[in-house]
Amino acid sequence: MITTPGKALGDLAMKLALSIAPETSSAYAMANTGMIAVLLQALGQDSERAVANRLADIVEIKALFTAEGVPNTTARETFLHREPQSLRLSDVMTHHAEGLTLLIELHAWAEANNPKLDQSIWSFLLNHTERDKFDW
Amino acid sequence: MNPSLEAIGERLATYLTERWGHTQTLTLIEQIPGGASRETYRVRLRGADGEQGLILRRDPTSSLIDTERALEYQTYVAVYPTEIPVPEPLVLEEDPQHLERPFSVMREIAGCNSAVADLALPPYVGVRGRIGEIKWTLLGKLATLDIDTLGITSFMETPTHPAAHELDYWAGVIDADSLHPEPVAQAAIRWLKKNLPDPSGNLALVHGDYRSGNFLYTETGDIEGILDWEMAHIGDPLEDLAWSLDPLWAWPERTLAGGLIPRVDAIAIWEQVSGYRVDPQAFRWWQIFASLKGLAIWISSTENFTNGTTKEPILAVAGWLMTDRHNRILVDRLSPNSAHLYAEPVL
Repeated sequence: MITTPGKALGDLAMKLALSIAPETSSAYAMANTGMIAVLLQALGQDSERAVANRLADIVEIKALFTAEGVPNTTARETFLHREPQSLRLSDVMTHHAEGLTLLIELHAWAEANNPKLDQSIWSFLLNHTERDKFDW
Repeated sequence: MNPSLEAIGERLATYLTERWGHTQTLTLIEQIPGGASRETYRVRLRGADGEQGLILRRDPTSSLIDTERALEYQTYVAVYPTEIPVPEPLVLEEDPQHLERPFSVMREIAGCNSAVADLALPPYVGVRGRIGEIKWTLLGKLATLDIDTLGITSFMETPTHPAAHELDYWAGVIDADSLHPEPVAQAAIRWLKKNLPDPSGNLALVHGDYRSGNFLYTETGDIEGILDWEMAHIGDPLEDLAWSLDPLWAWPERTLAGGLIPRVDAIAIWEQVSGYRVDPQAFRWWQIFASLKGLAIWISSTENFTNGTTKEPILAVAGWLMTDRHNRILVDRLSPNSAHLYAEPVL
């Protein structure tokens, strides 16, 4: 058993990019091999961090839902008291999607009614995109 | 030759023999990488007049950009007689019986490169300033072409409000194709709706994907062909200028637009050639729109890779890496406390 799938995928990406791609016989095959190597590297990175990143997002989204001046809604209240069904990525993604949908609604409200919250949501979006960025 | 490619080439040779009335013999076929909206092949055929190089573009079973092949082909036909260099369009065949899917054929412009990465390498790095000057000169010229004289109004819609029209279309793509909620895209859509500029009254043929990677350049720094007109439409010429300057096309470089020349120089060249002045407020809108349109394409690409039948790696790469980058660019541009790590604050 390979206990570090992220590293293994990264190693395979390097093998594909540096050893196998140059041996391919057409520009089309070489370009696609290179792209698959990049994707393996991205998959390696996300296999390590995806659940942690989505959970970090969820924690920050819940903090925004309880910020000062945020009106209560049943949907947000329900979300605040729920957790993902399991730590499998698919379950965490489902919960994450629910949070983001409610956040989009809140952001539209904040733009018109609560500039401080609007700013906080942009700070969250910065954290969210920086957390998920692909590092070469 | 790869046997499956050879079969496509042989069928094309048979088709062109019938269509042109003289025998065409296949001597080479190879697939060109990066054809995200069409399968693209370089083909050589030998006929009575000698050998000729052709580019075959065949509809894929799944595509990065959902486009209308006839519109793209007719655009090549319209632009070919002008000062804007494009490959000569030769054949549009919409009947799928010949090559399983509709296709078009253009004459190859030989001896050129289109790779973005090579612009930073010898021998091209020494002439990239010249390439940049020509790139934005041609874009300025494109903005001056009269849409009626070009004849494109017969097959393209003429929008009354180009900005609203484009925003409506691409926001619709995001709504239709998002597999997961997209908070940055939705915030950008709201901003664009709130800040919609009045129509400038300037209507031009907009290429729709005018960027490094979509033109053929030479070692001497010339541009021999502008490619990939599949998103061409009638619109505001600022749209192409903003798209051409999007930070993604020079990523992670920030000083040279499209990896070629400083953005202020690109804008100055475009203004001088087109005769238009760039209105900063409207241009800010078009720049944010450009990043949103990019994001829409990558979101659509993710959907295509996930649910489509063609598992082309480029769909996944675009859907993953480019979504990531355009999300960051939009946060950078719209966040009130932006540190502007990825995009310039104005213009």
